[in-house]
Amino acid sequence: MDQLLTISFYGTAIALILIGLYAVLAKKNLLKIVIGLSIMDGGLHLLFVSIGYIKNGTAPIFSPEVLNTKVQMVDPVPQALVLTAIVIGFAVTAVALSLVIRLYRHHNTASIDEIKNLRW
Amino acid sequence: MVISPVHYIALPLMAAFLIPLFGKINKELVRIIPGLVLLYLSYVSVTLMTQVLNGPMIVEIIAGWNPPWGINLVFSPFSGFLVSMMTMLGFLIWVYTYNFKPEVDYSQTTKFYTLFMMLITGTIGIVLTGDIFNLFVFLEITAISSYALTAFYRERDGAEASFKYILIGSFASFFILLAIVILYTQVGTLNMADIAQKMPAVDPYIKGTILLLFFIGFGIEAEMFPLNGWAPDVYTQAPGPIAAIFSGMVVKAGIYALIRVIFTLFDVPAVLNLLLIMGLITMVIAEVIAMRQERIKRMLAYSSIGQMGLVLVAFSIGTREAIFAAIFLMFNHAVIKGLLFLSATYLVYNSKDKEIKELDGMGKLMPFTSFMFALGAIAIVGLPPFAGFWSKLYILIAAADAHMIAVMAIILVISVIEIVYYFRVVHRIYFRKATSNTDIKIPTYNAKFTLLVLGLIIVVIGVYPDLIMGIIDKAAADLLDKQNYIQSVLSLR
Repeated sequence: MDQLLTISFYGTAIALILIGLYAVLAKKNLLKIVIGLSIMDGGLHLLFVSIGYIKNGTAPIFSPEVLNTKVQMVDPVPQALVLTAIVIGFAVTAVALSLVIRLYRHHNTASIDEIKNLRW
Repeated sequence: MVISPVHYIALPLMAAFLIPLFGKINKELVRIIPGLVLLYLSYVSVTLMTQVLNGPMIVEIIAGWNPPWGINLVFSPFSGFLVSMMTMLGFLIWVYTYNFKPEVDYSQTTKFYTLFMMLITGTIGIVLTGDIFNLFVFLEITAISSYALTAFYRERDGAEASFKYILIGSFASFFILLAIVILYTQVGTLNMADIAQKMPAVDPYIKGTILLLFFIGFGIEAEMFPLNGWAPDVYTQAPGPIAAIFSGMVVKAGIYALIRVIFTLFDVPAVLNLLLIMGLITMVIAEVIAMRQERIKRMLAYSSIGQMGLVLVAFSIGTREAIFAAIFLMFNHAVIKGLLFLSATYLVYNSKDKEIKELDGMGKLMPFTSFMFALGAIAIVGLPPFAGFWSKLYILIAAADAHMIAVMAIILVISVIEIVYYFRVVHRIYFRKATSNTDIKIPTYNAKFTLLVLGLIIVVIGVYPDLIMGIIDKAAADLLDKQNYIQSVLSLR
């Protein structure tokens, strides 16, 4: 059961990364590419959080109950890092979406094949 | 106020977000504040550098959390030298941008300087931080402001270049974050000194995987082949002064991160061979492509990639004198490529396509700017008596001492290629007749001041290289002295 849980965590994370990668590489629509990037990021975040997970662990807050009953806490560092990484991912997505809007207004299309003023 | 390395991060970041507010008080403050901040930071650099050169490195603890738990800033001769270079170059570029556009549009100016200060914070942060995750955060600050600045001009194809940059940059941050995740599972710490101490116990295969991920991630920022597809378009589409910042600061920060990870965190000798090969490939391919470019900024961009390849080659030789030469070249390249980008910006100010053939006869029309461009061109190919000569000479000596004859030969052949494509431009500037409809733009006095100072640095360093060689030598020694780095940070526990 434990193993199943671990596998499902890591499996989902890797599946998300691969789905995102597929969207970035295979899709032609700029919006879909941006969505793919966010999905990739999401997968990585899930991978990071699941590394710090301990079965039956509680939230990493020093409270009297935790100290007395000696319940294990989950590792707080990955959670803190993932929070930061989510904010960064949000900012990158926002910039990317604003660029997509700019590109759409300029070229009247969101297809990456038709935007070719620069060599790709 | 006590001077400390924290000012490097706190002041520009605060300035970036307060600039719009100051703009409400007086519009002129928007343009003045970044300059004041950078001037103060240059003063901080001078003070701290004199301290560090005569004493131990400065390790600054943030918010009272001792290493390895908290974040710390490390101002060592190596990181301090790069940071000082960046702040002073940043100040000069601020002088240049002060009245870059004839009519000041304050809402645009506010955006520009906010992003400008964020970019500087990010690049300085990458170099100063002693925490690997913090480094990632600063890398993203740099990247996000670079994306926005690339797309700053609406009338150009900046959005397209910027989108390309975002695609590649996202992969870079993905790889770096993945590397940090795997690293954390192995050593359970994020402090760079602590990681360096615990690294020998890690399984070599996992070590290799992490290093490869870092290599790809930072390689993208450091313009390493084949990950540099973003660079030429970004340099072409971004505003001129920003291109100078990219080549002088952003790429240097990327190289610093790569080198710090390889030399301090990991101790895998095999990776130096990989670095050597990648550096050589980057250099050869970029310089050959540069020869075929018809647009001036694109040519400069490929030349910049080529020079970064040369820096990687010099670092990969790995001896102390090679690292000395590499750091010297980083400094020279920042100054000279800054001069080239800034003068080229005025040479093609009103041109739409910014092609090299439009430069015919500029030597008569714009004598000062053309002269500065020619000076930069002569200096960067490494002709004496200018700054570029010494760094190239020391790289060749280091390669000779390491018995790498093939590397020496390649560097010399590449120098010939550089001479060919730079002198092609200089030839057009001075020995062709001007076309009648050339629409020139005389640089402002601020821009002339920046160009003059950069030109003077090139000449003075070329004639008296001793002025700076002592500092660089200490920086090189500092990079190689891994134990000192670990102990300086962890002794504060």
